[in-house]
Amino acid sequence: MDFSGKTVLVTGASRGIGAAIAKAFAAENASVVVNYLQNAQAADATVAACNALGGDALALQADVTDQAGARRLVADALDAFGKVDILVHNAFAPFVFSPEKRKLFWELDWSDFQAQIDGSVKAAHGMIQAVLPGMLERADGTIITIATNLIAHPVVPYHDYTTAKSALVGFGRNLAMELGPLGIRVNTVCPGLVYPTDASRAVKEDLKQSLIAQTPLRRIATPEDVAGPVLFLASPWAGFMTGQTLYVDGGAMMR
Amino acid sequence: MVERACYLPGLDPQALHWKTLTFGQGGGPGYEVAVPVLEPQDMTRLAAHVRHHAAQHLRPLPVSRIVEVIDRVIARLLDRKDPYRQRMEQALPVVTGYDAEMVRVGLTRYLKTFRKPELLRFLAEDFPNPAILDEFQPLPKGGYGRAFGPGVLGHIWAGNVPALPLWSLVCGLLVKSGTIGKVSSAEPLFATWFAEVLAEVAPELSDCLAVVWWQGGEDAPERALLQSADMALAYGSANALADIQSRMPSGKRLLQFGHKVSFAMISAEALDPAKATETARRAAEDIARYDQQGCFAPHVVFVEKGGHVSPRVFARYLAGALSAFGQRYPRRALSMAEANSLAAWRQQEEFAHGAELIGDALGDWSVSFHEGGQGFGPSCLNRAIRVVAVDALTDVPNQVAPYRAVLQTVGIAAPPDALFRLAGLLGEAGVTRIAALGDMTTPEAGWHHDGRFNLSDLVQITEMDARAPPAADRLASYDD
Repeated sequence: MDFSGKTVLVTGASRGIGAAIAKAFAAENASVVVNYLQNAQAADATVAACNALGGDALALQADVTDQAGARRLVADALDAFGKVDILVHNAFAPFVFSPEKRKLFWELDWSDFQAQIDGSVKAAHGMIQAVLPGMLERADGTIITIATNLIAHPVVPYHDYTTAKSALVGFGRNLAMELGPLGIRVNTVCPGLVYPTDASRAVKEDLKQSLIAQTPLRRIATPEDVAGPVLFLASPWAGFMTGQTLYVDGGAMMR
Repeated sequence: MVERACYLPGLDPQALHWKTLTFGQGGGPGYEVAVPVLEPQDMTRLAAHVRHHAAQHLRPLPVSRIVEVIDRVIARLLDRKDPYRQRMEQALPVVTGYDAEMVRVGLTRYLKTFRKPELLRFLAEDFPNPAILDEFQPLPKGGYGRAFGPGVLGHIWAGNVPALPLWSLVCGLLVKSGTIGKVSSAEPLFATWFAEVLAEVAPELSDCLAVVWWQGGEDAPERALLQSADMALAYGSANALADIQSRMPSGKRLLQFGHKVSFAMISAEALDPAKATETARRAAEDIARYDQQGCFAPHVVFVEKGGHVSPRVFARYLAGALSAFGQRYPRRALSMAEANSLAAWRQQEEFAHGAELIGDALGDWSVSFHEGGQGFGPSCLNRAIRVVAVDALTDVPNQVAPYRAVLQTVGIAAPPDALFRLAGLLGEAGVTRIAALGDMTTPEAGWHHDGRFNLSDLVQITEMDARAPPAADRLASYDD
């Protein structure tokens, strides 16, 4: 698939899944905005990799949970590339996946939930508000949010994280209904456990083995595994798909 | 359904009196088990018959052949299509009251530990060179030795855990002893079936063992057995064992396996959110299997404070796991006495000891949680468990030391360093077996039962002095 002439904005793209998505778009000749929050070095490395793959990439710092930050990010992206055709909302609030250290439900405050909801739904809201005017003008645009297969089966109950991601899926479905008539598609990708990423580094072998045993394709997802379905949903090949949730987890969830 | 619980080679069943034990109440089909009422002279004749045939047919067999025979018997009992296995699966749940699925799974788990590889390990545990059971073997210190089992070994079994007699039956066969086993009235069937299958598998051994019954505590038949046997093994309560000992002719050995108590210990490391529910599941399995009737089952779970999941929350997980286990494997119906004892235990825990009780009085499990203070205490069994929070597991051995004489298995969930440190302290306190939590009720083949040797405790070594063969040489025809 050739994404020449398309601009993709990937939030949380300095590392892990976001970086893999940015690089995959770059390899298909897209212009890529690599958004990051803190790790400028990692973002620069991703940009360098994107450029080496033939894309045209730019790192932009912004806290997307803050509406002003989101607005500034999109403005900077428009300054650089003139438009945003594809938004991949991948950023989420800091979270460490550790079945051993996770908080039990009664140890969580509402503030924990709020932080995750802000990181996923509020950030998505801010980003989409910011990119929407341009997309509406062209009656064209694709939005992809990244959730998790834990919404279907919380193998480890990361209450705050998974609740927020579940909300993100509902948010995306409503948006798909609203924006479909306006030519904008909204879909969600739900990866299984992706390893290695900084967030999943603490996951122990035992859990990985038990997930592998329940996964028809018998392995854990890599960041690159997630990129393919994202590119597909962004492409004209998925032109008649909206409001969909694609599980990218080796078949662990079949729905 | 009618079954016979006896195996009496050389006695005419028509000439005996019979009594019927009735099992199974309420709904399903009950069982009537016919048991012979033996006179002391019957016992004496039986012992003589078994002694004679064991000497003729069992003692000349190499131990490797005996292992093969037992292995084939066990293979039959493991085969779910085998008629004996089918009878076991049908009758034992009714007779013992245990859930049928639990009996089926438990039988397989237990029988599997008596296959050939395990039997060989069993032998190797006590005899570095098992051929010492067959002929004189060189001894490390010089000279030669051969191990002889008793001509007739008497067994007095107790309790209702299915297939319990298998352990000592196998021990007796491996040391080539004729066997007379007295079954428990609560589970009289397994030993009989074992004997019948053995006779089918190895007809030459069919007269080498006998299975008898009398009402527990009855003096005359017990005395007759103890007088006819060369050595005896007995299971039961301290009182029952004291009675048996008092009937034992002087100069003969009685190996006693009295009631024991076990407990579990859970370290803070086993209590993070990823491990706590599995830890609880494993503990629940140890508690629920055979409703704590075996010596291996825990009476108390000591839980270390300081883990991410507190002891109190763990107690709730344990309750949840027991509840789930109960759905799969319901507890057996309690007798009036057992129900009363459970009610008394709950009351005692709650009012006398200030515990928090989880689970209602009519449920098929009870968990009492103690934040501290209370230490070890026997359970009323039938899935009643005390969970005690402790600051450090290393405090536990001191708490249990007063129960030294009755301590047996400790199921431990702790990291390696702690496992070995605790094992040392517990051994000092009198504990004889350390198991992983969840494996408490399934000891390995050849474990040192209650800290003793299974086979070497049964045999007598005949030693041939190192100087004997050279001396014999001097008398040989080839001497020059």
